[in-house]
Amino acid sequence: MKLDKNALGTPYGRVGVGNQTNLEIIGNNSDVSVGEIFMIYSSRDGHERVFFFRVLGLQNYLRRVDDVSEIAGTLMVEGESYLSGIERNMLLSLDGRMLGYAEQERGKWVFRSPRRLPDHLAFVYRPLPGTSDETVNLMLSSQIDGEVFVGDLQVGEATLDVPVMIPAEFLPMHVGIFGSTGAGKSNLMMVLIKSFIDHNLGASQSKVDSKPRMSAFCIDPHDEFAKGVDDHGIQSVVDAMDQQTRSDVIGDFYYLTTHLRATPREVKRYAREINVLWNEIQPRDLYSIMEFTPQGQLLIDSVYSRVHEGWIDHLLKMDEDSEAKAGAQKGTLRAVQRRLRFLERSSIFNDSGTSILDDVFEAAETGRILVVNTSLMSDREQFLLTTVVARTLFDLRRAAKSSGNLGDFERQGEMRLPRPFFQRVKNKARAYYGKGGTTNQTEIRDLKMLPVIQITVEEAPSILNPELMRGRSVFKDISRQGRKFNIGLLVVSQQVSVLDNVILSQMNTEINLRLGNEKEIKACIENASVNIAGFEGEFRVMARGEALLTASYRELPLPVKIPLFDTVFERDKSLYKAKGTKKKETHHL
Amino acid sequence: MLEKILTDRFRKLVRAVLTDVRNQQDLRDEKEFAKDEERIKNELLDDIVPCPANEVLDEDFTVAAVDGSGTENFGILDDVRLHLVSTSVVVLQSNTRRGTLFEPMDRAQLESELNQEQPHLDMHWHSGVRNDARDKLAASLSDIYPNKSVTDLIVHFFQDYLGPHVSSFSDIDSTDYAKHKSKLESIQGLISRAGFLTNTAVHDELRRVSEYAAARTVLISEIRPKYILLDGALSVFMHFVLKYPSMPSGFMLRELCSLSRERNVILCAVSKNHTIPFAHRIAKMAEEKFGTGSKWFCLLPSQKDPGGGLHIYSDRTYIPPRLAVPYLFSFSEDNRPSRIDFDRVWWKKNIFVRDDPAKTREKEKALFQEIEFMSRDARWYGYPVALALAHEECKLSYEDLRMAREVFADVLHELGADVRRSTPMREDYGL
Ligand SMILES: Nc1ncnc2c1ncn2[C@@H]1O[C@H](COP(=O)(O)OP(=O)(O)O)[C@@H](O)[C@H]1O
Ligand SMILES: [Mg+2]
Repeated sequence: MKLDKNALGTPYGRVGVGNQTNLEIIGNNSDVSVGEIFMIYSSRDGHERVFFFRVLGLQNYLRRVDDVSEIAGTLMVEGESYLSGIERNMLLSLDGRMLGYAEQERGKWVFRSPRRLPDHLAFVYRPLPGTSDETVNLMLSSQIDGEVFVGDLQVGEATLDVPVMIPAEFLPMHVGIFGSTGAGKSNLMMVLIKSFIDHNLGASQSKVDSKPRMSAFCIDPHDEFAKGVDDHGIQSVVDAMDQQTRSDVIGDFYYLTTHLRATPREVKRYAREINVLWNEIQPRDLYSIMEFTPQGQLLIDSVYSRVHEGWIDHLLKMDEDSEAKAGAQKGTLRAVQRRLRFLERSSIFNDSGTSILDDVFEAAETGRILVVNTSLMSDREQFLLTTVVARTLFDLRRAAKSSGNLGDFERQGEMRLPRPFFQRVKNKARAYYGKGGTTNQTEIRDLKMLPVIQITVEEAPSILNPELMRGRSVFKDISRQGRKFNIGLLVVSQQVSVLDNVILSQMNTEINLRLGNEKEIKACIENASVNIAGFEGEFRVMARGEALLTASYRELPLPVKIPLFDTVFERDKSLYKAKGTKKKETHHL
Repeated sequence: MLEKILTDRFRKLVRAVLTDVRNQQDLRDEKEFAKDEERIKNELLDDIVPCPANEVLDEDFTVAAVDGSGTENFGILDDVRLHLVSTSVVVLQSNTRRGTLFEPMDRAQLESELNQEQPHLDMHWHSGVRNDARDKLAASLSDIYPNKSVTDLIVHFFQDYLGPHVSSFSDIDSTDYAKHKSKLESIQGLISRAGFLTNTAVHDELRRVSEYAAARTVLISEIRPKYILLDGALSVFMHFVLKYPSMPSGFMLRELCSLSRERNVILCAVSKNHTIPFAHRIAKMAEEKFGTGSKWFCLLPSQKDPGGGLHIYSDRTYIPPRLAVPYLFSFSEDNRPSRIDFDRVWWKKNIFVRDDPAKTREKEKALFQEIEFMSRDARWYGYPVALALAHEECKLSYEDLRMAREVFADVLHELGADVRRSTPMREDYGL
């Protein structure tokens, strides 16, 4: 299958001299910007290869002129001098990176690391929206395929209609979203949530029930996702659905909030109030979000081992005599109580009422999306909520994974999870985890067949920092083992440099948005799962909504333009109406 | 060798020769120059009033330039030599209205106007040892030059040289040249220096004719430039005995001149390497007269011009060239003066005004003002930019030639020939 070179884009020039990192292109000196991607067509020995070269820096110079300063001097001194046909004689020296090349192998396009170089004088093409999209899409299929739409491939200032996706199978290997304030993190989260919903929509419509759905527990610290920043939000997606689709994909609710009464009317119909019971909190949850002295942990652990789920209440009511009896150092109890006091004041952590955890569990195991308005919580409450939810879902799956059948599972669950909670959910859990039955002998399903659960960790440095991760943080376990249980973290942070190495080294996909300073740029480059050394200049010129997607399972660092949520919603809203009325866009699901 | 070159002895040798040159030449010529000094300063030399940078011309104009390059030993196959010849045509528009001064015509458009790729690369072979050397050269030249009618071609020279009464081949019968008529019917016949067909002479002729062919293509095309610039001089080398051009290129140049006049094109040739003695002294004179940084020109009159030729070149047969009018000029104090030649017949009609030196001067000034205007590119300041670009486009760099030779060896191999046949024999011995 011979490649149609015209479909690569506009012929731009020829390769002069070049190596892996620098390429001199002889071409018309049209505006080229940092970040642009050029394609170089090479057919050495009749074997077609298309190289991708990314501009990291550029320099204009005049063809066959060694000393530009001399010319500049002449232009200065001889005021009436000119430069004839300067456009044509202008050369561009492009510094950049050879990203790799695409070639066909048994009729399929594969992408390879830049181990080779294009031919001398090979033709250079500049991708052109409307012309190159299909070919680029094809050539880069191994680099952009997946289930979760992030944005469109950016080739400099232009964007191609080449959707860039993340494969669902890599979500449990954790995704990082990094960007300074205003870089577009919230908008990206909304685009991702929509992608999850779209994926679930596809899965629910697909006859063969092979594609597992996606669940997400999305912390929304500014209460932006439901109503959106501009015109539309996730609520618009919900509203655009017909009854059946909504109940298939969204269920009865998707919005969790602290103050149901303060919720806008249209959202309220799909809202639940957040309430977590003290007896559903485990000591580790607290260790994951705040530091305790070793004595404090000792005291908590000993109380927990005696009274189990009642530990918080017990500790808060404990007096100094009992402290002494428990063998703790003087002052330890006071310190622990001080730290637990926020639970007494909290409106979401209570010692009674109906827990939201049952609903969260159900949503997670049935492949649904939860938007969690944490705007009216304290930071601590937000972190503890995230932790309790993450640990609960993780422990349930862990119990399932380590069991041969449902009978085992129940024993495991009782051991690992707070008893009252487990008693409430165990029958549902048996239904989710049992392979075609609910008896004690029923085998446990492969967790890969269950929905991938994603838990966002907002303001990640507050809990994923080295101090907390050094201890018994539940996030340490999820970082390392999430993959086994099909649970992934979606780590959202303005900074990379302060995150703990355990989570960074376990992260396999990074969406790097605009960053605040050189230190973060450096940290981001070091952390990236593909080598993007030398991309500093690019980070400096990144606009909002632009990102560099790096993933350990791909050779190519992908520049992505994330669309505005409103744009993709307007484009796709008709898809949410009853099936079959509109054709689906291929790249979308 | 280097150990000898770096000795004092060698330095002394160089010094001795240079001193000798200076003594012999300068002393003799200095006297001659003294005789010309006054006349140059007062009559022949004048300054150019540059037109302002943002001047919008009433009529924007087009300039074309032709240059060529090549090598006489691109390849050797036994006694056959391969000559590689490149030519390039550049067409610029003055574009004062649009402000993009001297913008080159788009290459695709140029190629379609000329019906030829640009730059143009061609190859010819020649055997210097065989006795058919002249026939082979003649065949190559006929192949290159577009006007295939020799009898048509040669008339232009005789018309310019003898007068308008010679306007067709048959008119030659009534001249002293009647006895040579048979020679004048074929390109072979026009090669009267057959005995001196060295490789260099052959190559020069191939190159010159290629450039003339390119210029002719421009003249015939719809481009209609106001100027056509050639690189070099408008020299016609005459045969001593026959008294007409000793090589076909001489006739071709005169045809170009004639066609140019017919089409109102100003044909001129610019040479950086002129052979005008005392040019630097004339430049100094100009500086004294018009101030530093001034732009100037200086007519180099011939014997027949009012006041006669200059003493400084009285013993140089080719200054001024036959049927041409040379000027020295300088548009930039950083450069040594260059020379520009015009067709004498055109000059007589369009620049020279009999018995009116002031009027003549006025026309010269207007002409040079325009030429100066087209010589302001910052890369080659003071040199006509069209010629500079043409030169840049046609030149064969060392690297180009190396690649071309690689292709040559490759093709040779494809044809099953012994590649060694094409490399210099000394390479067999590692020399
Ligand atoms: N992909 C995008 N394209 C264009 N503008 C964007 C994009 N993403 C965000 N913005 C704009 O940038 C601003 C900040 O976006 P936001 O998502 O709130 O950033 P963050 O959450 O990182 O602070 C908003 O006004 C939004 O409209
Ligand atoms: Mg935000």
